[in-house]
Amino acid sequence: MINALVNRLLLSVPVLIGVVIFGFLLIKMAPGDPAQIMAGPTATPEVVAQIRQQMGLDQPLLVQLGRYAERLVQGDLGRSLISNRPVVSELAAAVGPTVELMIASLIWAVPLGIGMGTIAAVRRGSWVDRTIMAISVAGVSLPIFFIALVLMQFLGVTLQILPFMGRGGPLWTVDGLRHIAIPALSLGLIFVGPVARMTRSSVLEVLRLDHVRTARAKGLTERRVILRHALRNALIPVVTLIGLQAGYLLGGAVVTETIFSYPGIGRLAVGAILSSDFPLAQGTILVLALGFILINMIVDMLYAILDPRAQKS
Amino acid sequence: MTTRKTLGLAAAASLLALSGAWASEINIAREMDSNNYDPHKSTALAAAEILFMLGDTLVSIEPDMQTLAPGLATSWEVSEDGLTYTFKLRDDVKFCDGRAMTAEDVVYSFNRWLDPATASPVKWRAGEVESITAPDATTIVYKLKSPFSELLYQLTQSFATIIDRNQVEALGADFGIQGMNGTGPYCWESWNPRDRLTMTKHAGYAWGPDFYENKGEAQIDRLVWQVVPEENTRTIALMTDQTQITQYVPYIALEQLKVAPNLNVVQSESAFWTYFIGFKVDHPTVADPAVRRAINLALDQDALARDQFFGGVQGAQSYISTATKDWDPALEASLPPYDPAAANALLDEAGWVPGPDGIRVKDGVRLAPLGYFFTGSTWQKLSEYTQAELRKIGVDLQVEIFDATVAWGKMATQEFDAFGMSYPYVSAGDALNLYFPSANIPTPNRMNWKDSETDQWLAEGKSALDDATRAAAYGKVLAKVHDANVWLPLIHEPRTVVSSTRLAPIVPHSNYGAALYKGLDLKLVE
Repeated sequence: MINALVNRLLLSVPVLIGVVIFGFLLIKMAPGDPAQIMAGPTATPEVVAQIRQQMGLDQPLLVQLGRYAERLVQGDLGRSLISNRPVVSELAAAVGPTVELMIASLIWAVPLGIGMGTIAAVRRGSWVDRTIMAISVAGVSLPIFFIALVLMQFLGVTLQILPFMGRGGPLWTVDGLRHIAIPALSLGLIFVGPVARMTRSSVLEVLRLDHVRTARAKGLTERRVILRHALRNALIPVVTLIGLQAGYLLGGAVVTETIFSYPGIGRLAVGAILSSDFPLAQGTILVLALGFILINMIVDMLYAILDPRAQKS
Repeated sequence: MTTRKTLGLAAAASLLALSGAWASEINIAREMDSNNYDPHKSTALAAAEILFMLGDTLVSIEPDMQTLAPGLATSWEVSEDGLTYTFKLRDDVKFCDGRAMTAEDVVYSFNRWLDPATASPVKWRAGEVESITAPDATTIVYKLKSPFSELLYQLTQSFATIIDRNQVEALGADFGIQGMNGTGPYCWESWNPRDRLTMTKHAGYAWGPDFYENKGEAQIDRLVWQVVPEENTRTIALMTDQTQITQYVPYIALEQLKVAPNLNVVQSESAFWTYFIGFKVDHPTVADPAVRRAINLALDQDALARDQFFGGVQGAQSYISTATKDWDPALEASLPPYDPAAANALLDEAGWVPGPDGIRVKDGVRLAPLGYFFTGSTWQKLSEYTQAELRKIGVDLQVEIFDATVAWGKMATQEFDAFGMSYPYVSAGDALNLYFPSANIPTPNRMNWKDSETDQWLAEGKSALDDATRAAAYGKVLAKVHDANVWLPLIHEPRTVVSSTRLAPIVPHSNYGAALYKGLDLKLVE
């Protein structure tokens, strides 16, 4: 298990190097002049040129990349062009809220999706199955900004039971929980449909296997057969799906955080890109890539727990 | 602590949270954040609206934007030659950290503003300074190399905020980022960039400007300035009392907000924020005075204000609001009326002939000026509306939009023929001295307007020793640039503030667009 983890970590290194290079080039291709931003709107061309030189932006691209990489390995991501604060501090302040948002989204969406998919599989062909699948299709099809606005209107405006603006505090506080509820519902909803659909097809497949028939022949209750013998095996592809969907969740967080003024990494990324805050944009790309790698590592570990064969291999 | 007690406390906390947290805390929604809160380094409205509350200036200005009022200075005298300003300071002013403000702090603040090392983009607003000294603890002598009739008005701006030397030296480059210890009615508590800035009331504050009914401590304990970039979210947050006040409302929602039973909508009488399209007067097509005149005749600014902004703004025929200090009312009769027929006739006379696609051509040159504009819904409306109206007279305005971070660089070039811009001002001189001196080419005089008479009159207005001379000089400049149609004025934007009925109605201010100004009239209704 530890060897697998170390291997996985080592494999992440080239991915991260690729992300650093890709992120650097992507930002370089974006319009906007960092020197002009630093100098301000009323600066003379001479001042802008001076700042460009000070920032090393007059150097060849490879030299700039080399210097960026050198600073990066020392943990220095530079300073935000807009706020002049260290990028590391800006990222540190935003990562926590996004992690909270993802946890709050997954914590209800995954069990609900698995539950819905299992019930649909067990009641295959019935109106329950059709209703659940219809809801899943709707969940997969609806864009997140639409879901967010509908929830904001219903829970925030019509019923006025939950706030929808900003972050009230850490997740473990009452205000924090109230503020994260609608964003987490919005973000989680994009997860329920795919998980339910995958669970349904996976459970149906497993229910046809020999060990399930044997379990039934032994006289076990249907509930025990489903939960103990079918669902555990059926979850393996579901976990894979969750890992793949995590990327979408990070993408969804960008939209959700912007709509709800939630101060996470997604909104920070949008703000940095829109304001041509290049060091911060590079930092957010790096953190999002790291997040993606980390989620996939967790999924791989879960995979090993669920399927001992994977652990041995 | 027993489980029961814990549950009890949690329930109490929930109730507190449900009832809207602190009794005298309000949430102020705004569209965007500032890059920093150093008065000498940021020109953003988002910075000004915070700095007016965190700090004070020697001179204040009333909401009419004409009348000066004492601030940290109780009085001032101007020498006959207009070169020496002597300010008498209050002796009871304290910074938020409890230290008494002295004349040395004022001298330090102004010298830092002027110091080339500060690289303040608004250094010119302080005038051509000879020296600033403090002969005693409550006197400041501000000596100029040449008279600057705008000085007192410029000293009402957030750039002239008095700052704490100790903090500037302690924080270095992080001053205005990690804190700003001022003497204002509110004190810096925390700032999470792009998210929220919180401030708490300055205990013992007693030096508010006279035009406020409340000159003492702020009446709200804590203000939370929340950045809410989505205008729909801001609107709904207002309607559901999740935010209590904002000046950033989409005009399309204004009628809806006006009839909402839990909201008050107030608008400033004056509108000292103007949107315009400027023309590079030495570029082909727009170099022709007939073209610029025709463009000015072709746009119905009142219809623009009504149709695109739902009456929330004023159509602008003048380059500055007619309520501005030193505006010449005699000019109003000569401002171009909406007359597309006259515009067409003028272009015909000038030899611009409609081509097969309806766009006019002269000597093989299409009448298709290239315009650079900012992104955002306001400029989208303005540029597209103007483009559509100008097509009716055979002018094909080419609209290219840029994000603000790119636009400033692009607009410093000579690539374009026209550009969209908006700006706040405190007086005619403030506006004219920024945009029209030939020394300010290529930016902010992006029109390349090079006229010796303009320069001479601007200098006369700037150095005038009395109001009449100054107004006369600036009046001549206004007449000349309006007559030359250097700009196409679009709208004057007043400050519109929407607030919860839980708050007492306020009088919106217009100083640099900061509608809440010092926030001393913010209070909960009893």
